[in-house]
Amino acid sequence: MSEARLITIKSSLARQIQEPGGRTVREAERRASQEIEVHRAPAMAAIGRALEELDALVTEASPDSGARVYALASQIIDVGGYFDLGPLHEAIYSLCEIADRMMGQETWHWPSVEVHLRAARLILAEDCRSSRASENMLNGLRAVAARITQPTEVAAG
Amino acid sequence: MQKASPNDRINLAQSAVLLVDHNRQSLDILSSIFHGFGVKQQTKCEDSQEAVHLVQKRDFDLILIDCSMPGMDGYDFIKWVRRETPPPARYTPIIMVTGHAAQSKVHKSRDCGASFIVTKPLTPSVLLQRILWLGADERQFVECENYCGPDRRVRNFGPPLGMAGRRSGDLSAHVGVATEANMDQSDIDQMFKPMRVSL
Repeated sequence: MSEARLITIKSSLARQIQEPGGRTVREAERRASQEIEVHRAPAMAAIGRALEELDALVTEASPDSGARVYALASQIIDVGGYFDLGPLHEAIYSLCEIADRMMGQETWHWPSVEVHLRAARLILAEDCRSSRASENMLNGLRAVAARITQPTEVAAG
Repeated sequence: MQKASPNDRINLAQSAVLLVDHNRQSLDILSSIFHGFGVKQQTKCEDSQEAVHLVQKRDFDLILIDCSMPGMDGYDFIKWVRRETPPPARYTPIIMVTGHAAQSKVHKSRDCGASFIVTKPLTPSVLLQRILWLGADERQFVECENYCGPDRRVRNFGPPLGMAGRRSGDLSAHVGVATEANMDQSDIDQMFKPMRVSL
């Protein structure tokens, strides 16, 4: 095996950050948080559209829609990941997890997808606030996700 | 490195940043965050092949890429930068942004050579702290047969300040006490970079 070479690097980024001027960390954070607010409404609209498409896929229950379910759930995480979506993030992340696992096992269980979407809708209706109800729903989704780690149970379900 | 205080200054006005994300909306949000940070030279890109051409043509001071790009994914892009480009592009700090990491990609994450991997949900505050951490990053760059990228053995340094360590053996941020008035620079450095010892 070849030897590892260790190189000491001083990046241009490191030099630039320390240059006089710029803005304070507080100011940079404040401005960035302000800048992304204009994207919140379009992001929530995109999340709504993705959920509608997911609902349609569940209704259709086509055997080759797994990849599309995963893509749509990932899209929600991608866009919503810059905003505080609280329990909605966890519900959709769980949907990504089960979709990924079910594709890996070459099996698919639509009721597991449906229960995630129903929970997402309820959380969204409560403006993504954490509550006892949302925590109960997330506990339910965790149980569904745990079941999908066991291929024999999924096949039986 | 100490966690930056709110009154510390950061100057990204001269930094050229490449942002790569296949999701246009997500890319625009990321771009707004960097605008808020004061970055004036932003290059936005929705396609990793286009990003390859851009990196071949010019140097960037920082690259952010989404992990799940179609075609050449974020992991393969970083691997390409680390192995196939000449310096200084090869050593560019690269932050990988992940939404959901598919099981099939998890093993690629550790070996791709990213400077930092950040996961969503991602706030501007967390992203800025990671950039500041990279600005003070003293890790050496490792080039060997199986890996090219920043030294992954950060456990010798402990987790960055302000971040909870994941290992029971993570070292604290405590810096040792000087043993004499005029210590050797190497001894001082050693106090800031405690190494693991076998007892």
